[in-house]
Amino acid sequence: MKDLYETLGVERSATSDAIQKAYRRLAKKLHPDLNPGNKDSEERFKEISVAYSLLSDADKRARYDRGEIDATGAEKPRQRFYKDFAAEAATDQPYQNYSGFTDFADHDILSELFRRGVNNARGPDVHYHLPIEFLEAITGETKRLTLPDGGTLDVTIPAGIQDGQVLRLRGKGRPGVGEGEAGDALVEIAVKPHRFFTREGNDIYLDLPVTLSEAIIGARINVPTPTGSVMMTVPKGSNTGTVLRLRGKGVPRRNGGHGDELVKLKVMLPEQPDAELEAFAAGWQGGKAYDPRRDMQP
Amino acid sequence: MIISKQEFLVRAQLDHETLEAWIEEEWLIPSETAGEMTLSDADLARAQLIRDLKEDLGVNDEGVGVILHLVDQVHGLRRVMTELLRSVRNRA
Repeated sequence: MKDLYETLGVERSATSDAIQKAYRRLAKKLHPDLNPGNKDSEERFKEISVAYSLLSDADKRARYDRGEIDATGAEKPRQRFYKDFAAEAATDQPYQNYSGFTDFADHDILSELFRRGVNNARGPDVHYHLPIEFLEAITGETKRLTLPDGGTLDVTIPAGIQDGQVLRLRGKGRPGVGEGEAGDALVEIAVKPHRFFTREGNDIYLDLPVTLSEAIIGARINVPTPTGSVMMTVPKGSNTGTVLRLRGKGVPRRNGGHGDELVKLKVMLPEQPDAELEAFAAGWQGGKAYDPRRDMQP
Repeated sequence: MIISKQEFLVRAQLDHETLEAWIEEEWLIPSETAGEMTLSDADLARAQLIRDLKEDLGVNDEGVGVILHLVDQVHGLRRVMTELLRSVRNRA
């Protein structure tokens, strides 16, 4: 335990005026409210407060000098200083004063942070996942999202959106604090696969079954596209793997126009065996001369 | 914590006139609940600081106002600095 006179830096013979003077000199330097954030000064201030409270009282000083009370024989030191309250993030604190830096609010680097400031923080962004149908991605659509809090959010899906694309809805995220603006809603689009269409960029691919006779002698047939059926000519002598292009029947491009639909033919034999066809194939000499596997010798 | 005016006067060892004078000077800003003046723990600690300044440190009334104003600014700066450091850390 340190000597009380030593704590205040005075002689044992010091007058009470000298003691008060010494205490004030130290207290001005060490008062915790004048040194927020300095733990050492708080400890030192408690020490000098105890020392001063004993030595400033003539009776207690005499008893201390006589050794009747030790250096802790003081009244209970204060537990909480004003700084402890001021540091708390209570928003109803009436003493808040931010005027000390309004002049650097123009500074490039700091302005953004100050603008967002303690009281005006931008709200956080919120992420959503929105699955949509294949055809909705091509034609565009307005979808309604139901939010966890029961609210709804209308999402306008632009025609031609890609799987995995993220739509940013400004100000639809969580609200900001004070004058801070709301965050954004970020909606990630997941496009579900289609039963028979596939998509590559802005082109649509379709495997289209045709009959043997349509392939051999040609035909006008109905072909599905994302925007409805269209008539298409299958040329005479088409084969499995033949690709026909329907111009402009694909996905709308962002800068105008459309991709194409590419129709790949797949020749299908009848599901039920056909005696006439069997008899023809058995007697068909031309078919025996043709080897479609001629390039597949190992 | 909410403290009634009567309790505040006892705990802060103040008389009624002194409290009114400090409120007049805006050293203390009490709030009002149902027409009654109420004070907080923070107000109590702030009153203790004012007493320290006046009684122990020999600061006169003019000086108390100046010091409180600067102390409030320091706390404002400390809050912004805290926020700033947090933002910088989150961006890093």
